[in-house]
Parts: sequence; structure tokens; C-alpha cells
Amino acid sequence: MTPSAYTPAPQRRFNVGDLVRVKRSDPPGHRRTPSYVKGKEGTIERVCGSFPNPEELAYGFDGEPKRVLYRVRFRQKEVWDKYEGPDGDWIEMEIYEHWLERA
Amino acid sequence: MSHDPHHAHPRDAEEGPPGEHEIMSRAMQELLEEKGILTAEQVRRRMELFEQEYPQRGSRVIAHAWADPAFKKRLLEDAKAACAEWGLDLEADRLIAVENTPQVHNVIVCTLCSCYPRALLGMPPTWYKSENYRRRVVREPRAVLKEFGTILAQDVSIRVHDSNADMRYVVVPMRPDGTEGWSEEELASILTRDTLVGVAIPRAPRDADQPTGRAA
Amino acid sequence: MNRNPADIGGEHAGPIDTVDHGLKFWEKQANALRNTLTSQKIVRLDELRRAAEDLGERYYRLAYFERTTEAMRNLLVEKGFFTRKELEEKIQAVRKRYDP
Repeated sequence: MTPSAYTPAPQRRFNVGDLVRVKRSDPPGHRRTPSYVKGKEGTIERVCGSFPNPEELAYGFDGEPKRVLYRVRFRQKEVWDKYEGPDGDWIEMEIYEHWLERA
Repeated sequence: MSHDPHHAHPRDAEEGPPGEHEIMSRAMQELLEEKGILTAEQVRRRMELFEQEYPQRGSRVIAHAWADPAFKKRLLEDAKAACAEWGLDLEADRLIAVENTPQVHNVIVCTLCSCYPRALLGMPPTWYKSENYRRRVVREPRAVLKEFGTILAQDVSIRVHDSNADMRYVVVPMRPDGTEGWSEEELASILTRDTLVGVAIPRAPRDADQPTGRAA
Repeated sequence: MNRNPADIGGEHAGPIDTVDHGLKFWEKQANALRNTLTSQKIVRLDELRRAAEDLGERYYRLAYFERTTEAMRNLLVEKGFFTRKELEEKIQAVRKRYDP
């Protein structure tokens, strides 16, 4: 097996190109979803694979079952008020499936 | 690192007396050694890797991608696998290589902490870990790049990558004109660390006979 | 409400110090210590990040390696690798070596 960044995620909910929205939620504890994209709509850029949930790992749990991680692409003009730059500017990051809903 | 209680720890002479956190860190390490959790040798070995091995890798990999289009294609598809085939074990880093083109410029950040492809590039620069970089580059990348002396044409789009979870990123810059026929070593010499994070653009020097790019 | 002091992407801020100031010797060693522990999964990177976030307001008052050192300390005490008292005693012993 090649040491790839990708581990398969056949049970995933989303696919490349899907429009998604990041949940507006501010739970206590360790999260890897930055506030600045909460409530924003983006597109699935790639499926990164399945990984143990960092929100659980952070407290000494094993993070199983694994959660699907996606790269999501957002238009900067949709993320920020008064973004100074062209429409083609994007911001991309990794978001766990449980933070996403279909847009 | 000796455990002789009369032997002071190695430090740089110019640093002044050790601060509270330096002492805390050394004390923690010693306790862990005494408890058999780790050895001084393991820590020393890691220091060596970070100092001597990791910082050289990034520029070599990207120089190879510039020289070998098939490798570059594999790198862009699956960077960790491409590096592994080439003989480079990136350990825990799951790497994604993002390519600059005439239309697109990429820049990397970790807004939530300081995630960085350490096994490929070594330690992140202090500015990368700084709160102001983490705060601002996602919202105003052009203004931030300008602070680094990098100005992009208005028809170039910027993509900011916030490495906020399990992936790590490296930028594949555009190969500048004037580097035709260069060896991989010469190419690597202009692929400074800052160009691989995306705040700088590699430059071929004006007198193209001898590359004079300095490693960041 | 932003509970996580690390969640700062997009905040307005002043100029960036674009010079790389590198690492002092002890910081290189602290980094190697952290890396030794995480590579052997003795602690997880996620736990260290969370421990840094748990510093709350203090997060902003500490420089990078001060923060990671305190987070490491708190985490190692939490996980039972040593007690605060043991660490304090060791700190005193280490301090004496620099200033006998």
C-alpha cells in the first residue's frame, strides 16, 4: 500500500463538487473548524479520507470511528465583508463531515 | 546532555540567563528520562534531524519536480506517495502539493496553531507561527504578501490554504525564465523556504551563470 | 462567542514581523522533546493543541515556545507522567545548576 495521504471513505456523504455549508455551532472543547467559515457555503474540493476525530483525540480518546475529512473551497468574497481582491480569490481548508450540511 | 549535576547544560553563550520556560522544559525532559519514558539520545537525534536533514528536503523535492514533469504530476496527485517513491519518508506528515501557475498563486497558513510540513521543511519561521500572520493572511493575503515584498498582478488569483486539520501543504512555485539547463542543485538554491510557503517567488539572478539564491 | 483563543483567523491585526528569528537552543530542544513524545504517541498533537487552548487568556500573553512548554507541562501532569510537586523539585534542581 503506498503511503498516501488518502485513506478511503466509501461511506462518505459528500463528493467532489458538492455545495456544502459549514454549521454555525460553537461547542465547547477542541474543534478544528475555524469560526470565520461557520455559516459559509463552499464546494468540496477533494475527499481527504477518513481520520480519527481530533475532537476526541484531544481528550485522550481514540477518535474512533473515523470521520470523513474534506477539503472545502470558499470564495473569499463570500467569506469576508469587503474582501479586497478579485472574485477568483479562494480560501481552502479541511473540514470534517459532521461540520457540513448540504447547501 | 549530561546528567552530571555539576555540569551545566549546553546553551548559546549570548543568550543570557535561562528563563523560566527554558528551565521548565529541561526539567520536564529530565523527569521523563528518569522515568524511562524517553532518552536524551532520542531527543538529541530529533534535534539533529530538524537541524540538518529536514530543512534541505523541500527545495530538493520541488527542484526535482521542476526538472522532471512526470514526478511533478505524481507530486501534485499524491505528494506523500511521490516523496516516498523518491526515497523520502515524511513520517506523520500527509502532504498536499499545490501548484502556482500564471493565473494562480498559493499561500499556506495554519490559523489555529502552526501546522507545517516539518518533515519536509524543518521548523516553521517565527512569522508563520506569529498571531498576526495567522490572523491576517486569510482575510487580506495581498496586503500580507506585500509586507514580504511580494506583489502579484491583479489578474493573478490567490488561494490561501489553511492547514487546519490533518493535511500539510507545500507550494510548487513557477519555474522562472532564465533557469533553462540548470542542475537540480542550482534549481534548489533558488527554492527558498519562503517560496515553498508562498510568501515569496523564486528569482533567477540577472547573471544567470551562477545561481546566487540564498536558502531562507 | 469565541471560546477558543487559538481561533483567530480573520481578526484584524497589525504588521507582521517578517524576519525569521529562528530558535534558541532550548527551543530546538523543546521542539525535539515534543516531537519525540508525539512520534511515539506518548502524547498526541491534538492533546497538545487542546492543552494550549485550555490556557485561555494566558494564550495571548505567552510567546510561542513558552505557550507550548506550559501546555506540555499541563498535559503531562494531567496524564500522570509526573506531579506538579515533582516538577517543581526538578525545576529547583535544574535552576541550581545555572546559579549554584
